[in-house]
Amino acid sequence: MSNWEILWDERAQFWSGFLSTLEIFGLSIMGAFVIGCGLLYLLEGSRKRLTTPLRIFIDGMRMLPFLILAYLLYYGLPSVGIRLDAWGAGVGALAVYHGCYFAEIFRGNRLTFPPGQIEAAQAHGFTKGKLFFRLLLPQIIMQTRPLLGNQLIYALKDTAFLVIITVGELTAAANSLSSTYFIPTEAFIVVIGFYWAISVTMEIIIKQCGRFSAKRGFDNV
Amino acid sequence: MSEANTSETAAVSIRHLSKSFDDVEVLRDVELEVKTGEVVTIIGSSGSGKSTLLRCINWLEKPDRGSIHIAGQRIGVHDDGRPMPVRELAKVRAQTGMVFQGFNLWPHLNVLHNVTEAPIHVQGKSKREAEELATALLEKVGMSQKHDSYPNTLSGGQKQRVAIARALAMQPAVMLFDEPTSALDPELVGEVLAVIKDLSAEGYTMVMVTHEMAFARAVSDQVVFLEKGLIIERADPETFFTTPKTDRVRKFLENHDTPSSA
Amino acid sequence: MNASAWNMLLEGAWTTVWISAVSIAIGVVAGLVIALIRLARIPIIDQLLVLYISVARATPLVTLALFIFLSAPDLGLDLNRSVAGILALTLNTTAFNAEIWRSAFRNFSREQSEAAMAIGMTPWVTFRRIMLPQMVITSLPGLVNEMSFLIKGSPAIAVIGIVDLTRVTNRISAVTYEPLPPILVAGALYMAIIGCLVWLQRLAERRANRLAM
Ligand SMILES: Nc1ncnc2c1ncn2[C@@H]1O[C@H](COP(=O)(O)OP(=O)(O)OP(=O)(O)O)[C@@H](O)[C@H]1O
Ligand SMILES: [Mg+2]
Repeated sequence: MSNWEILWDERAQFWSGFLSTLEIFGLSIMGAFVIGCGLLYLLEGSRKRLTTPLRIFIDGMRMLPFLILAYLLYYGLPSVGIRLDAWGAGVGALAVYHGCYFAEIFRGNRLTFPPGQIEAAQAHGFTKGKLFFRLLLPQIIMQTRPLLGNQLIYALKDTAFLVIITVGELTAAANSLSSTYFIPTEAFIVVIGFYWAISVTMEIIIKQCGRFSAKRGFDNV
Repeated sequence: MSEANTSETAAVSIRHLSKSFDDVEVLRDVELEVKTGEVVTIIGSSGSGKSTLLRCINWLEKPDRGSIHIAGQRIGVHDDGRPMPVRELAKVRAQTGMVFQGFNLWPHLNVLHNVTEAPIHVQGKSKREAEELATALLEKVGMSQKHDSYPNTLSGGQKQRVAIARALAMQPAVMLFDEPTSALDPELVGEVLAVIKDLSAEGYTMVMVTHEMAFARAVSDQVVFLEKGLIIERADPETFFTTPKTDRVRKFLENHDTPSSA
Repeated sequence: MNASAWNMLLEGAWTTVWISAVSIAIGVVAGLVIALIRLARIPIIDQLLVLYISVARATPLVTLALFIFLSAPDLGLDLNRSVAGILALTLNTTAFNAEIWRSAFRNFSREQSEAAMAIGMTPWVTFRRIMLPQMVITSLPGLVNEMSFLIKGSPAIAVIGIVDLTRVTNRISAVTYEPLPPILVAGALYMAIIGCLVWLQRLAERRANRLAM
């Protein structure tokens, strides 16, 4: 039996690893997105006492490797009495970590906003919440699309770190197959193909969104 | 102008020069001879091929046919049709100094180093020698206060004067100017023209494309009118500006503010 | 934490720094070489490089490190852990650096090199004296940013058993049964390293802005 045939027989393992990676990725970027928007909303509220610690938190996260945060949640938190399983710690770490990157991307774009637009909305009697959710957020998201897309690819790649804290995902599947059958080359070529396919698909989707947003005139307002 | 240093070989000699850009003939059988110490001005409407002609002289554009000699040396190809190796081409190019409409100073080098760069790294001059030369040239163009400034801190007129010094530093046989003042604010045009005028008085050989008619009339020895890649008129400035032979030139001069007198 | 824990942490930090530094040095140069080769647009080679860049950018470092380390014997190569780790980091960062260099090439104005050719510089001198220095200045912020990303990705080499600044925290807590302190200290050390790079990036950006005419 050739090595490739072995892999074909074991396709169920790849498939479940693939689905597990997609699940971790999907959940954590949704979490990250909510955290990113939440941080932006808090930064938008002009309380200085809150802004500075938030900025320090966001910048601090961006200066850490993702794996250190995962270690902190998985190995570190039990010392203070919070016990998460590997999966929960992994998804949580991904969400918080990339949420901070999202927030920073949003914040950078927010700085380039013409103040006239906000003032016009205030003059029309928009409340603060409405102004944020109906006016600022949609525009910021559409304009930062390419950066967000890049960040999604980083988030996807960071899911592989979770193999180190024993989460069973795509890279873990390749690792276990290659040690069972001693066929590392083939096993890893397959998973690298999987990662590549997801990235390319995401890139295409983002490009399509670009077309949509160009039509709606979101760019260069 | 000073005729004293006229020599046997012309500074530039162009024979049967033709050039097309994808099927459009931009230069057609152009013949031009520039004697040492002479100032030749090329005039013509937009798109007539003036820049292309100038850029053929130093082989930034490759002509399709014809030959160009700089100070007696053929540029670009050998007489037997072999293309020139890059080193040799560079040597002949060093005989020409070009001043561009958009200055094209090197932004990573300060004013002094913009001028010394080629003498040191092309001619192999020592740093000291190159800097002495550069200091003298920057003085000549009125930029001696600005040795340490970087190009993006200079005004357009200052940039162009540095660009002139940079070209002069190679002691070229001919200076080529492509609309050196077109990108300048009107109040800065004068300072650059004054420098060029000084050079012409010193006997530098120059080929110049310009839309400054009064200036062309004042400094030129020969005026050439280019129309759709053909030289349709050439004369001394007096004749050219007062009694043009063709209707086309007369029309052109009417549309430009014709100089009242030299 | 006792003195030996601190020692181990510093050793881990040193491992992270030297392996990253070697990968960065190779990756910056290799990225430039690839960008130059891509300028020539040689058929097949160009497509292969595009494929490499696309795959390398999409492949997680952990996966790449495992792949290289485990399949090297299959290919008849005898790699020790450090070499495999450096290779993984280098293959990854080179792909990003190649794109940074290439965009610097593409944004380089033709007029600049024309001015150099017109004054008698050969293409080689023009490249060395006029193009390259400007490209270094414009690419540096991007390159330094990529260095930060490389450091942040470097814990991936722990997966093939290199005891880097992240992995060493496991070793320490295996003895002390107190995982939190070493993790926090390791985090602080990472912040110090990346903070230096962020500061360098600011300087590089200021210089690059000065170049913009
Ligand atoms: N690299 C090129 N490729 C294709 N066409 C070109 C190129 N350079 C110039 N041309 C064309 O050749 C013609 C002559 O151009 P040239 O720049 O020599 O004109 P010009 O007389 O200098 O005009 P202007 O006064 O506007 O500078 C124009 O029609 C131009 O569009
Ligand atoms: Mg022109």
